[in-house]
Amino acid sequence: MSSSSTALRELQRDLENKANDLSKLQKDIAKNHQVKKKYTIQLGENELVLKELDLLNEDANVYKLIGPVLVKQDLAEANANVRKRIEYISAELKRLDASLQDLEEKQYSKREAILKVQQRIQSHQAGKAKA
Amino acid sequence: MGKTEMKRTVTSLSSMFPTEEAQKAAKRVEETLLDKQNEMNQLRGFIADNTSLINLVQKLPDELHHDIMVPFGKAAFLPGRLIHTNEFLVLLGESYYAERTAKQAAEILKRRGKSLESKVDSLKAVMQDLKAEASFFDSTASEAAEGLVEIREEYEDESSTQRESQSGRNKMVIDYFSEDEDYKSGETFSFLDPLEQDSPSFTEADNMVGASEDEEYARIMSRLEELEKEELAAESCGEDDEDQDNNPAESDGDDEEQTKAVFDRKKNKGYSSLDHDQRYSESRKPLQQSKGKDPMKEEMSNNYHHQDLINQLACTGLTVEPVTKGKMSHSGNMRQDTKMLNPSITASAPSEKKVKFAVEHSSRNEKSVQTSNSGFDGSKAFTGSIVEHTENMEKNLAGQSTTSSQLSGSQPWKPVSRFKMQRKYIQSSDRHFNSFKTCFFGPTQNPKNKSINDQLSPLSTPSNFPKSTSAKPQTLTLMPAL
Repeated sequence: MSSSSTALRELQRDLENKANDLSKLQKDIAKNHQVKKKYTIQLGENELVLKELDLLNEDANVYKLIGPVLVKQDLAEANANVRKRIEYISAELKRLDASLQDLEEKQYSKREAILKVQQRIQSHQAGKAKA
Repeated sequence: MGKTEMKRTVTSLSSMFPTEEAQKAAKRVEETLLDKQNEMNQLRGFIADNTSLINLVQKLPDELHHDIMVPFGKAAFLPGRLIHTNEFLVLLGESYYAERTAKQAAEILKRRGKSLESKVDSLKAVMQDLKAEASFFDSTASEAAEGLVEIREEYEDESSTQRESQSGRNKMVIDYFSEDEDYKSGETFSFLDPLEQDSPSFTEADNMVGASEDEEYARIMSRLEELEKEELAAESCGEDDEDQDNNPAESDGDDEEQTKAVFDRKKNKGYSSLDHDQRYSESRKPLQQSKGKDPMKEEMSNNYHHQDLINQLACTGLTVEPVTKGKMSHSGNMRQDTKMLNPSITASAPSEKKVKFAVEHSSRNEKSVQTSNSGFDGSKAFTGSIVEHTENMEKNLAGQSTTSSQLSGSQPWKPVSRFKMQRKYIQSSDRHFNSFKTCFFGPTQNPKNKSINDQLSPLSTPSNFPKSTSAKPQTLTLMPAL
């Protein structure tokens, strides 16, 4: 009996550890989702800016707000900047997607493992009850 | 044809979807819906701001200068004058500003307004989905609470080629029916569920819908003809002949079924008033089917039909209170969704549905009781779920829903039997359209259901269709074994 109870305790500890890991993973996923959302919004905004910049005349004055000052910028330069920014954000989004997928896979496998441990605990308990 | 092997499973809805769970899910959906509503309000606020800003920008250059009060700090204002009324520094986003004239600024603002509107539209669509989902959850919860039972039976697919040949026949049958006065409420069901016709006895006995398909077209045709002949002969003799014919076909058919059929018949007589309306609806529907091979059309007609039924039922004030929801089973979509409830299903008469028929066309003929959403297997051909509150209720329902099959057994209505035969064929041809909605709608039925179903149905068809090819051969057949 004592051996089985220790095994059971071990299993339960194992289960606890795994549950902790899982909750950590879930937190990570949630954080990633938030970051992704932020980037998506930024991407949308940048695209909007790019569209408007494309519609401007060549001689239009463009300013960038840097701190409290409006700094005059060349239209072509602003355009290039925005494009670069869009590129960067898209790359970041891609990276986030990959990591998100990875995390979700991990989460899934963790869940499976937890389920298995739970089943083992249950079978243990059932065996105990029988005994 | 002669195979009458069928599998039936009966499950109570509440066992699959506990009431509390469904209610919880409904609550969650309601919450998200609320969030979306807030978002929508915010967007609308933006749009209002934008339009007022456009007006202002367009008005400013009308004057050379404006006398205004300039805000100075939080609490103070200074008198000031606005000059350069046609020069605007417009924030494009990402802290980029551009110098624009009033006209150009207004254009930018208008473009922004457009993008806002498109956002509102997409949000609206999302909200509609959520609403459908919520109503579905509600209905599921109430159904589970009422002890709804789902019955599934295996169903065999027929080749689609039959359809064309039969479309012509259907029409004829329909006409015939419209003239026939004896035609009972049960027949309406048969129209709704082509599957039922194959296994009329099932429906009676178990309140289940049977689905059968013939694999060989030629065989079917020949049989059909034979049956028709028999029917003709039977006309003079009465129903008895038909009974014999049909019953043998269902080798598996339970004795219970027959007895029930008789019972149903009795009940049917009470419904004579209903018959007229129902007949109309039926006649309409078959016509549509014959014309349109489109699954969409058929579905539409089905819905139509349902509503008719509902109305009639409500008018007559049946004792049964057959309030039912039509559930669409989007077998393909539903299955894959991890979520139990899809917005697609939208039966909304929550309190009163007692009988729910969910018919699914799918490769397999299994009937199993499931809630329409999550549990649905695409493979399950046909599902009928009936709520059995009390014995009386059940009987009544059975009488209404399954009269057609019952009639064949003991009643002298030849037309019915014929019709059934025809229906069977139609059915096979119709397999494209997977989800049949066959239900009684209660008087409280939600009008939204219809529209939702219509929308949903097309979605469901494609997913189901491919599955049919892998259909299991198990089938129920009404036709007598030759």
